[in-house]
Amino acid sequence: MCETCGCGLPEEAKNHAHEHDHDPGRTHREEAVLYRNLLAANEAQARENRAHLMEHGILAVNLMSSPGTGKTSLIEAVTASLSDQLRVGVIEGDLATDRDAERIRALGLPVWQITTGSTCHLDAAMVHEALHHLPLESIDLLFVENVGNLVCPGLYDLGCHLNGVLLSVTEGDDKVAKYPVIFKYAQFFCITKSDLLPYVSFDAAKPQREARILKGDLKTFSLSAKSREGMGSFLNYLLAERAALTA
Amino acid sequence: MHEWSLACELVRQAETEARRRNALRVHAVKASVGVLTGVVPELLQRAYEMARQGTCLEEAPLEIEVEAIRARCPRCGREVTLHSPALVCPDCSALGLEVLGGDGIFLASLELEVAETAGGNHV
Repeated sequence: MCETCGCGLPEEAKNHAHEHDHDPGRTHREEAVLYRNLLAANEAQARENRAHLMEHGILAVNLMSSPGTGKTSLIEAVTASLSDQLRVGVIEGDLATDRDAERIRALGLPVWQITTGSTCHLDAAMVHEALHHLPLESIDLLFVENVGNLVCPGLYDLGCHLNGVLLSVTEGDDKVAKYPVIFKYAQFFCITKSDLLPYVSFDAAKPQREARILKGDLKTFSLSAKSREGMGSFLNYLLAERAALTA
Repeated sequence: MHEWSLACELVRQAETEARRRNALRVHAVKASVGVLTGVVPELLQRAYEMARQGTCLEEAPLEIEVEAIRARCPRCGREVTLHSPALVCPDCSALGLEVLGGDGIFLASLELEVAETAGGNHV
Protein backbone atom coordinates (compact mmCIF):
# COMPACT_ATOMS: atom_id res chain seq x y z
CA MET A 1 0.00 0.00 0.00
CA CYS A 2 1.19 3.51 -0.79
CA GLU A 3 2.18 5.01 2.60
CA THR A 4 1.40 8.55 1.60
CA CYS A 5 -2.16 8.09 0.40
CA GLY A 6 -3.01 4.49 1.24
CA CYS A 7 -4.16 3.91 -2.35
CA GLY A 8 -3.26 0.23 -2.48
CA LEU A 9 -0.29 0.33 -4.84
CA PRO A 10 2.21 -2.42 -4.11
CA GLU A 11 5.03 -2.09 -1.62
CA GLU A 12 7.63 -1.34 -4.35
CA ALA A 13 5.72 1.75 -5.45
CA LYS A 14 6.43 3.51 -2.13
CA ASN A 15 9.81 4.72 -3.23
CA HIS A 16 8.76 5.80 -6.72
CA ALA A 17 6.74 8.70 -7.96
CA HIS A 18 3.47 7.24 -9.26
CA GLU A 19 0.40 8.55 -11.05
CA HIS A 20 -3.11 8.11 -9.76
CA ASP A 21 -6.27 10.09 -9.46
CA HIS A 22 -7.19 11.48 -6.12
CA ASP A 23 -9.65 14.21 -5.44
CA PRO A 24 -7.62 16.81 -3.54
CA GLY A 25 -10.74 18.04 -1.75
CA ARG A 26 -11.53 14.64 -0.29
CA THR A 27 -10.38 13.26 3.01
CA HIS A 28 -10.11 9.78 4.46
CA ARG A 29 -9.50 8.04 7.73
CA GLU A 30 -6.21 6.33 8.42
CA GLU A 31 -4.76 4.56 11.41
CA ALA A 32 -1.29 5.62 12.50
CA VAL A 33 0.28 2.73 14.42
CA LEU A 34 2.85 4.26 16.76
CA TYR A 35 3.62 2.34 19.98
CA ARG A 36 5.42 5.36 21.47
CA ASN A 37 6.73 4.81 24.99
CA LEU A 38 5.15 7.41 27.28
CA LEU A 39 8.00 7.02 29.76
CA ALA A 40 10.75 7.37 27.12
CA ALA A 41 11.58 10.99 27.96
CA ASN A 42 11.86 10.14 31.66
CA GLU A 43 13.98 7.06 30.95
CA ALA A 44 16.37 9.07 28.72
CA GLN A 45 16.73 11.73 31.42
CA ALA A 46 17.29 9.02 34.05
CA ARG A 47 20.14 7.51 31.99
CA GLU A 48 21.69 10.98 31.72
CA ASN A 49 21.40 11.52 35.49
CA ARG A 50 23.03 8.16 36.17
CA ALA A 51 25.96 8.90 33.86
CA HIS A 52 26.38 12.38 35.37
CA LEU A 53 26.39 11.00 38.94
CA MET A 54 28.80 8.25 37.88
CA GLU A 55 31.26 10.86 36.51
CA HIS A 56 31.33 12.41 39.97
CA GLY A 57 31.73 9.02 41.69
CA ILE A 58 28.44 9.51 43.51
CA LEU A 59 26.33 6.56 44.62
CA ALA A 60 22.71 7.74 44.39
CA VAL A 61 20.03 5.99 46.44
CA ASN A 62 16.30 6.55 45.86
CA LEU A 63 14.22 5.92 49.01
CA MET A 64 10.53 5.11 48.45
CA SER A 65 7.82 4.43 51.04
CA SER A 66 4.51 5.65 52.44
CA PRO A 67 4.61 8.86 54.47
CA GLY A 68 5.95 8.32 58.00
CA THR A 69 7.94 5.12 57.38
CA GLY A 70 11.18 6.80 58.47
CA LYS A 71 13.01 7.76 55.28
CA THR A 72 14.46 10.95 56.80
CA SER A 73 15.33 9.14 60.05
CA LEU A 74 17.18 6.45 58.08
CA ILE A 75 19.20 9.14 56.26
CA GLU A 76 20.03 10.74 59.62
CA ALA A 77 21.13 7.41 61.09
CA VAL A 78 23.27 6.51 58.05
CA THR A 79 24.92 9.94 58.14
CA ALA A 80 25.69 9.66 61.87
CA SER A 81 27.45 6.34 61.28
CA LEU A 82 29.24 7.01 57.99
CA SER A 83 30.20 10.68 58.27
CA ASP A 84 33.89 9.82 58.71
CA GLN A 85 33.87 7.58 55.61
CA LEU A 86 31.48 9.13 53.08
CA ARG A 87 30.24 12.65 52.40
CA VAL A 88 26.44 12.53 52.24
CA GLY A 89 24.12 14.84 50.27
CA VAL A 90 20.34 14.74 50.05
CA ILE A 91 17.56 15.63 47.63
CA GLU A 92 14.23 15.89 49.44
CA GLY A 93 10.91 15.44 47.65
CA ASP A 94 7.67 16.54 49.28
CA LEU A 95 4.29 17.83 48.19
CA ALA A 96 4.70 20.85 50.47
CA THR A 97 7.02 22.42 53.10
CA ASP A 98 10.79 22.06 53.49
CA ARG A 99 10.60 20.46 56.94
CA ASP A 100 12.63 17.41 55.86
CA ALA A 101 15.27 19.63 54.26
CA GLU A 102 15.52 21.59 57.53
CA ARG A 103 16.24 18.36 59.43
CA ILE A 104 19.02 17.48 56.97
CA ARG A 105 20.42 21.03 56.96
CA ALA A 106 20.65 20.84 60.74
CA LEU A 107 23.17 18.01 60.26
CA GLY A 108 25.33 20.30 58.14
CA LEU A 109 24.73 18.33 54.93
CA PRO A 110 24.15 19.76 51.45
CA VAL A 111 20.44 19.40 50.69
CA TRP A 112 18.00 20.52 48.00
CA GLN A 113 14.26 20.44 48.55
CA ILE A 114 11.95 19.67 45.61
CA THR A 115 8.40 20.78 46.36
CA THR A 116 6.20 18.97 43.85
CA GLY A 117 2.91 20.75 44.60
CA SER A 118 0.33 18.27 43.38
CA THR A 119 2.61 15.67 41.80
CA CYS A 120 2.74 12.47 43.79
CA HIS A 121 6.21 11.29 42.73
CA LEU A 122 9.63 12.59 41.71
CA ASP A 123 10.71 12.18 38.09
CA ALA A 124 14.11 12.22 36.41
CA ALA A 125 13.74 15.83 35.20
CA MET A 126 13.11 17.08 38.76
CA VAL A 127 16.21 15.23 39.99
CA HIS A 128 18.26 16.63 37.10
CA GLU A 129 17.22 20.15 38.06
CA ALA A 130 18.04 19.50 41.74
CA LEU A 131 21.54 18.26 40.84
CA HIS A 132 22.37 21.78 39.61
CA HIS A 133 21.87 23.07 43.14
CA LEU A 134 24.18 20.61 44.92
CA PRO A 135 27.99 20.67 45.28
CA LEU A 136 28.49 17.34 43.46
CA GLU A 137 32.28 17.42 43.85
CA SER A 138 31.88 17.14 47.63
CA ILE A 139 29.30 14.31 47.74
CA ASP A 140 30.00 10.56 47.74
CA LEU A 141 26.57 9.25 48.70
CA LEU A 142 23.42 11.03 47.54
CA PHE A 143 20.05 10.12 49.02
CA VAL A 144 16.97 11.02 47.01
CA GLU A 145 14.04 10.93 49.38
CA ASN A 146 10.98 10.42 47.20
CA VAL A 147 7.50 11.76 47.92
CA GLY A 148 5.80 9.63 50.59
CA ASN A 149 3.67 7.31 48.42
CA LEU A 150 3.74 3.55 47.97
CA VAL A 151 2.34 3.53 44.41
CA CYS A 152 3.36 6.24 41.96
CA PRO A 153 7.14 6.61 42.52
CA GLY A 154 7.63 2.99 41.40
CA LEU A 155 7.12 3.79 37.73
CA TYR A 156 9.69 6.57 37.48
CA ASP A 157 13.38 5.76 37.09
CA LEU A 158 15.23 8.74 38.60
CA GLY A 159 18.69 7.72 37.47
CA CYS A 160 19.75 6.49 40.91
CA HIS A 161 22.03 3.45 41.18
CA LEU A 162 19.98 1.92 43.98
CA ASN A 163 16.24 2.10 44.56
CA GLY A 164 14.98 1.04 47.94
CA VAL A 165 11.51 0.41 49.34
CA LEU A 166 10.92 0.96 53.07
CA LEU A 167 8.07 -0.50 55.11
CA SER A 168 7.65 0.19 58.83
CA VAL A 169 6.38 -2.49 61.20
CA THR A 170 3.44 -0.26 62.16
CA GLU A 171 2.09 -0.27 58.58
CA GLY A 172 1.25 -3.97 58.61
CA ASP A 173 2.90 -7.03 57.09
CA ASP A 174 0.41 -7.32 54.20
CA LYS A 175 1.61 -4.27 52.24
CA VAL A 176 4.06 -5.89 49.83
CA ALA A 177 1.44 -7.98 48.06
CA LYS A 178 -0.88 -4.96 47.94
CA TYR A 179 1.67 -2.57 46.40
CA PRO A 180 3.79 -4.69 44.04
CA VAL A 181 4.58 -2.00 41.45
CA ILE A 182 6.78 0.00 43.83
CA PHE A 183 9.27 -2.90 43.61
CA LYS A 184 9.70 -2.61 39.82
CA TYR A 185 13.10 -0.86 39.95
CA ALA A 186 13.95 -1.82 43.55
CA GLN A 187 17.27 -3.40 44.51
CA PHE A 188 16.71 -3.39 48.27
CA PHE A 189 13.89 -3.56 50.81
CA CYS A 190 14.14 -2.29 54.42
CA ILE A 191 11.74 -3.09 57.21
CA THR A 192 12.02 -0.07 59.53
CA LYS A 193 11.17 0.68 63.19
CA SER A 194 12.05 -2.90 64.13
CA ASP A 195 12.43 -1.71 67.76
CA LEU A 196 8.60 -1.54 67.82
CA LEU A 197 8.16 -5.22 66.89
CA PRO A 198 7.26 -6.28 70.47
CA TYR A 199 4.26 -3.91 70.40
CA VAL A 200 2.67 -4.75 67.04
CA SER A 201 1.61 -7.95 65.33
CA PHE A 202 3.92 -7.92 62.37
CA ASP A 203 5.49 -11.05 60.91
CA ALA A 204 8.77 -9.68 59.49
CA ALA A 205 9.41 -12.84 57.47
CA LYS A 206 6.17 -12.44 55.49
CA PRO A 207 6.85 -9.15 53.65
CA GLN A 208 10.45 -10.18 53.02
CA ARG A 209 9.27 -13.46 51.49
CA GLU A 210 6.64 -11.70 49.39
CA ALA A 211 9.13 -9.05 48.23
CA ARG A 212 11.50 -11.77 47.04
CA ILE A 213 8.62 -13.34 45.12
CA LEU A 214 8.21 -10.05 43.28
CA LYS A 215 11.95 -9.66 42.73
CA GLY A 216 14.15 -12.68 43.30
CA ASP A 217 17.41 -10.75 43.69
CA LEU A 218 16.12 -8.16 46.16
CA LYS A 219 18.40 -7.44 49.18
CA THR A 220 16.35 -7.29 52.38
CA PHE A 221 17.10 -5.62 55.73
CA SER A 222 15.30 -5.25 59.02
CA LEU A 223 16.48 -2.31 61.10
CA SER A 224 15.72 0.49 63.51
CA ALA A 225 17.17 3.96 62.92
CA LYS A 226 16.41 4.75 66.56
CA SER A 227 17.88 1.77 68.41
CA ARG A 228 20.44 1.14 65.60
CA GLU A 229 19.68 -2.61 65.60
CA GLY A 230 20.25 -4.08 62.14
CA MET A 231 21.91 -0.89 60.86
CA GLY A 232 25.32 -2.58 60.48
CA SER A 233 24.42 -4.76 57.51
CA PHE A 234 22.67 -1.88 55.75
CA LEU A 235 25.71 0.38 56.21
CA ASN A 236 28.01 -2.37 54.90
CA TYR A 237 25.74 -2.77 51.87
CA LEU A 238 25.96 0.97 51.07
CA LEU A 239 29.74 0.99 51.54
CA ALA A 240 30.17 -2.06 49.28
CA GLU A 241 27.94 -0.56 46.57
CA ARG A 242 29.84 2.75 46.71
CA ALA A 243 33.18 0.89 46.50
CA ALA A 244 31.93 -1.15 43.51
CA LEU A 245 30.82 2.04 41.74
CA THR A 246 34.19 3.73 42.00
CA ALA A 247 36.36 0.59 41.60
CA MET B 1 -2.32 9.39 40.61
CA HIS B 2 0.68 8.92 38.32
CA GLU B 3 -2.11 8.45 35.76
CA TRP B 4 -2.33 12.26 35.55
CA SER B 5 1.33 12.67 34.48
CA LEU B 6 0.92 9.82 32.01
CA ALA B 7 -2.30 11.26 30.54
CA CYS B 8 -0.56 14.62 30.00
CA GLU B 9 2.31 12.87 28.20
CA LEU B 10 -0.18 10.82 26.14
CA VAL B 11 -1.99 13.98 25.05
CA ARG B 12 1.30 15.77 24.31
CA GLN B 13 2.62 12.94 22.10
CA ALA B 14 -0.73 12.40 20.33
CA GLU B 15 -1.04 16.11 19.53
CA THR B 16 2.53 16.28 18.21
CA GLU B 17 1.95 13.25 15.99
CA ALA B 18 -1.41 14.48 14.65
CA ARG B 19 0.15 17.83 13.75
CA ARG B 20 3.17 16.17 12.11
CA ARG B 21 0.82 14.15 9.90
CA ASN B 22 -1.29 17.22 9.03
CA ALA B 23 -4.39 15.52 10.42
CA LEU B 24 -7.65 17.42 9.98
CA ARG B 25 -9.22 15.62 12.88
CA VAL B 26 -8.35 12.97 15.46
CA HIS B 27 -11.11 10.35 15.66
CA ALA B 28 -9.65 8.05 18.30
CA VAL B 29 -6.62 7.41 20.49
CA LYS B 30 -5.46 3.99 21.58
CA ALA B 31 -3.12 3.39 24.53
CA SER B 32 -1.50 0.17 25.68
CA VAL B 33 -0.92 -0.30 29.41
CA GLY B 34 1.24 -3.10 30.80
CA VAL B 35 0.05 -4.88 33.95
CA LEU B 36 3.44 -4.32 35.62
CA THR B 37 3.05 -0.52 35.45
CA GLY B 38 0.28 -0.60 38.05
CA VAL B 39 -1.62 1.99 36.01
CA VAL B 40 -5.35 1.80 36.67
CA PRO B 41 -7.14 2.01 33.27
CA GLU B 42 -10.22 3.74 34.74
CA LEU B 43 -8.07 6.44 36.34
CA LEU B 44 -6.07 6.92 33.14
CA GLN B 45 -9.35 7.29 31.26
CA ARG B 46 -10.58 10.00 33.65
CA ALA B 47 -7.24 11.80 33.66
CA TYR B 48 -7.21 11.74 29.84
CA GLU B 49 -10.64 13.36 29.73
CA MET B 50 -9.29 16.26 31.78
CA ALA B 51 -5.90 16.48 30.07
CA ARG B 52 -7.35 16.69 26.54
CA GLN B 53 -9.37 19.86 27.28
CA GLY B 54 -8.45 22.60 24.83
CA THR B 55 -6.50 20.26 22.53
CA CYS B 56 -7.26 18.68 19.15
CA LEU B 57 -8.21 15.49 21.03
CA GLU B 58 -11.42 16.88 22.51
CA GLU B 59 -13.53 14.73 20.17
CA ALA B 60 -11.27 11.68 20.32
CA PRO B 61 -12.22 8.91 22.75
CA LEU B 62 -9.44 6.92 24.37
CA GLU B 63 -9.37 3.16 24.12
CA ILE B 64 -7.07 1.39 26.57
CA GLU B 65 -5.76 -2.11 25.93
CA VAL B 66 -4.27 -3.90 28.92
CA GLU B 67 -1.13 -5.86 28.12
CA ALA B 68 -0.38 -8.94 30.24
CA ILE B 69 3.14 -9.50 31.56
CA ARG B 70 5.33 -11.75 29.40
CA ALA B 71 8.24 -13.28 31.25
CA ARG B 72 10.78 -16.07 30.98
CA CYS B 73 11.33 -18.47 33.85
CA PRO B 74 15.01 -18.82 34.85
CA ARG B 75 14.49 -22.41 36.03
CA CYS B 76 12.25 -24.13 33.48
CA GLY B 77 13.04 -21.70 30.66
CA ARG B 78 9.39 -21.37 29.66
CA GLU B 79 7.88 -18.14 28.43
CA VAL B 80 4.83 -17.39 30.55
CA THR B 81 1.96 -14.89 30.53
CA LEU B 82 0.89 -13.31 33.84
CA HIS B 83 -2.17 -11.21 34.56
CA SER B 84 -1.04 -9.93 37.98
CA PRO B 85 2.28 -8.38 38.98
CA ALA B 86 3.53 -11.30 41.11
CA LEU B 87 6.55 -12.54 39.20
CA VAL B 88 6.30 -16.25 40.00
CA CYS B 89 6.48 -19.01 37.39
CA PRO B 90 2.98 -20.59 37.23
CA ASP B 91 4.52 -23.92 36.21
CA CYS B 92 7.46 -24.45 38.55
CA SER B 93 6.97 -21.60 41.11
CA ALA B 94 10.47 -20.20 40.49
CA LEU B 95 11.12 -16.54 41.39
CA GLY B 96 13.07 -13.81 39.64
CA LEU B 97 11.42 -14.09 36.23
CA GLU B 98 12.96 -12.11 33.39
CA VAL B 99 10.34 -9.62 32.19
CA LEU B 100 9.95 -9.52 28.39
CA GLY B 101 6.86 -7.32 28.10
CA GLY B 102 3.88 -5.85 29.89
CA ASP B 103 5.95 -3.35 31.87
CA GLY B 104 5.43 -0.33 29.63
CA ILE B 105 2.82 2.25 28.70
CA PHE B 106 2.46 3.35 25.10
CA LEU B 107 0.58 5.61 22.75
CA ALA B 108 -0.41 2.65 20.56
CA SER B 109 -2.17 4.31 17.64
CA LEU B 110 -4.19 7.25 16.38
CA GLU B 111 -7.14 7.22 14.03
CA LEU B 112 -6.82 10.35 11.92
CA GLU B 113 -8.79 12.20 9.25
CA VAL B 114 -6.31 13.28 6.60
CA ALA B 115 -6.59 15.07 3.27
CA GLU B 116 -6.01 13.00 0.18
CA THR B 117 -2.86 14.18 -1.53
CA ALA B 118 -3.35 16.38 -4.58
CA GLY B 119 -3.54 14.31 -7.79
CA GLY B 120 -0.40 13.64 -9.74
CA ASN B 121 3.00 12.55 -8.62
CA HIS B 122 3.99 11.93 -5.08
CA VAL B 123 6.62 9.84 -3.47
